[in-house]
Amino acid sequence: MVAMSHPGLPALWGLASLMLMLFIALRAVALPRATVHSTPHLALAGLPLVGPMMRHITRHPGFLFVLKLVFVALFVLIIAAGLYGTPLPARNVATVLTWNLWWAGLVVSVFFVGSAWCAVCPWNTLAGWLARHRLWRRADTHAGLNLRLPAGWRNVMPALALFIILTWLELGIGVTLDPFATALLALLMLFLATVFAAVFEGGAFCQYFCPVGRSIGFYAQLAPVELRPVEPDICARCTTLECFAGSAEVDPCPTHLVMGRLKQNTYCLSCGNCARSCPHENVAWRLRSPASEAMQDSRPHWDEAWFMIGLLALTGFHGLTMLPAWDTTIKAIARAIGDGRQMLVTFSLALGATLLLAMALYTASIRLSARLGGIRTAMGAHFNRFAFVALPLAFAYHLAHNLGHLLREGAGLGKLLANPFGIGTLPLGMAEKQARMMHMVISQNALFTLQAGLLIAGFLIAALIARRRLDLAASPNIVQLRGQLLPVLLFALAVSLFHLWLLMQPMSMRM
Amino acid sequence: MPRTAILLIAVVALVSGASGARAHHVLGRPAYALNEDSNTPPAMQVETWVGNYDFNYMVFPAFPRPGEPGRINLYVRRIDGGAAFDGKVTFTVQDDSWLNWLGLGAKEETLGVQAPDDVVFRQGFVFKNAGDYLITARFEADGEPYIIDFPLRIGARSPLGPLGAVLGLLGLTLIGVNLLQRRRAMSGQIRSSHEKS
Repeated sequence: MVAMSHPGLPALWGLASLMLMLFIALRAVALPRATVHSTPHLALAGLPLVGPMMRHITRHPGFLFVLKLVFVALFVLIIAAGLYGTPLPARNVATVLTWNLWWAGLVVSVFFVGSAWCAVCPWNTLAGWLARHRLWRRADTHAGLNLRLPAGWRNVMPALALFIILTWLELGIGVTLDPFATALLALLMLFLATVFAAVFEGGAFCQYFCPVGRSIGFYAQLAPVELRPVEPDICARCTTLECFAGSAEVDPCPTHLVMGRLKQNTYCLSCGNCARSCPHENVAWRLRSPASEAMQDSRPHWDEAWFMIGLLALTGFHGLTMLPAWDTTIKAIARAIGDGRQMLVTFSLALGATLLLAMALYTASIRLSARLGGIRTAMGAHFNRFAFVALPLAFAYHLAHNLGHLLREGAGLGKLLANPFGIGTLPLGMAEKQARMMHMVISQNALFTLQAGLLIAGFLIAALIARRRLDLAASPNIVQLRGQLLPVLLFALAVSLFHLWLLMQPMSMRM
Repeated sequence: MPRTAILLIAVVALVSGASGARAHHVLGRPAYALNEDSNTPPAMQVETWVGNYDFNYMVFPAFPRPGEPGRINLYVRRIDGGAAFDGKVTFTVQDDSWLNWLGLGAKEETLGVQAPDDVVFRQGFVFKNAGDYLITARFEADGEPYIIDFPLRIGARSPLGPLGAVLGLLGLTLIGVNLLQRRRAMSGQIRSSHEKS
């Protein structure tokens, strides 16, 4: 079957991006040592027009509740269309809304509003309603078992494992092309979220298991918005900690965060419970530099380091599977090893190899960095510290890749919403596919500029993170510091060049 | 023997176990196609390969209904060189249901034995009942038997099964949790009243 593909970045764009990345790498090595400093912020509540609106949204649950209702309604529509609608993926709202718009748009949304999706997530909303018997007020404390999650599960490795399984289902089994399977997957996630909400305390599923929530959480470290104390001194003097424990009307923080000590967005679900429960009205949304958190505020942990490297590998793998050459390559490998059926063994091997390769490359660069920098102890800390470098690389490529899908395949939505179940429709013909590709919201050159710009920005932030993390670690002298920096920069450059190469290739349409 | 060696052997066995023309295959993912330049109706299509042959399986119409005649077109070509297979292919059918997986389903029936018609093996069908079926194509080439399965859906899927299963499981879990929680609360009350007395 002939699949239509989108054109890749022209060679000139690739060359210009490469030159800029090399310049950034050299500049990062030559930078003088920096010291820790507080990054400037802009409180959204203090802005002239947006301020009053933000204050109202933050303090009152009504707006959030309406948004939750809208997303629950869309979720129910997706389930219904998936189960009862046409099996044609491009004509069924279940597959188009889920994979073309939500999945692709989710990463773009993090760029503007951080982890806001988690606040309106229909899985969490429905799970809360079903298991805790409350629509918006504080949940009944006797509604669930409220068990503490076993200590061994309190890390993000389950979320990474589920993300790998999700990738396998999405790209290996082809759930994206099957409305019925898409609806089943959505129901399965709802089942898991509800069981966790009924059995365990707080938002255990969101915090440690949800692959979507955790990916958003990590990417949100690079978001330009954060929910933080207005006056840190008020938090320092607070003894009641309503942000953590909740109030008579408002639920406690689902991920057990204390606002006065909050330094990173990773586990913040943007639910706003802290802002509503704080008796001093001391919690508000504010704007910040997107790179500040990953550069100096986030604290490195082993499980988070592995998650970030896994995320980097999986985003690259997504891109790889959408190259027209992927099908021929995987078919050739399948034939060589005698793997018929859906070539699932070959697919699984390729997925595993990509994950292993990314992890091996990162580990090798860290070992080399330690050797050149004269580090003989605390290798784990060295490994965890630099994993933040993977975050902007993964985020930038994920954004650039998904922008291509969103802008090139977003056409025809009006027609689809008029017939969400796709009753009586025919498969997409070549002429219609061609027409959809031609109706882009922005020009092709604008898209190329955005994609190349994102990759360059991603590499720039990665280089800054590597450099700042080293400065914070206080290496004894500048020669050792550069010795530590160089292998990490080379790793970031190699990954960025791979991403650039991916973007320069033609890319298959999702449906 | 070290654990990694056992694991390696298991992986190699898994990979090699998937090979060979004798393997029982369920073909790849279905796709739907429409060619605006021809009068051909939309088709459900699956492509895959087994042993030395590439297979292209097409079902017309794309969504066959009970009582409505339909047609299977099967293209079989050698991987090396693309020569079309010119022997005969036997088409059989059986229910593709949970009961069949457990060995309790209806028996396999033969749809027909077809010779190539201009390199295409054409097999007509009419099904009385809606459901999931498994079409099996059998032939012998290079001294080896080829048995290839592919899916066929007649009529609309019944969504009550999976929806009912998920909702039922959810309901059972929530009721179970509720009962446990009540019991815990009651035990707590009894314990505190004992402590008071």
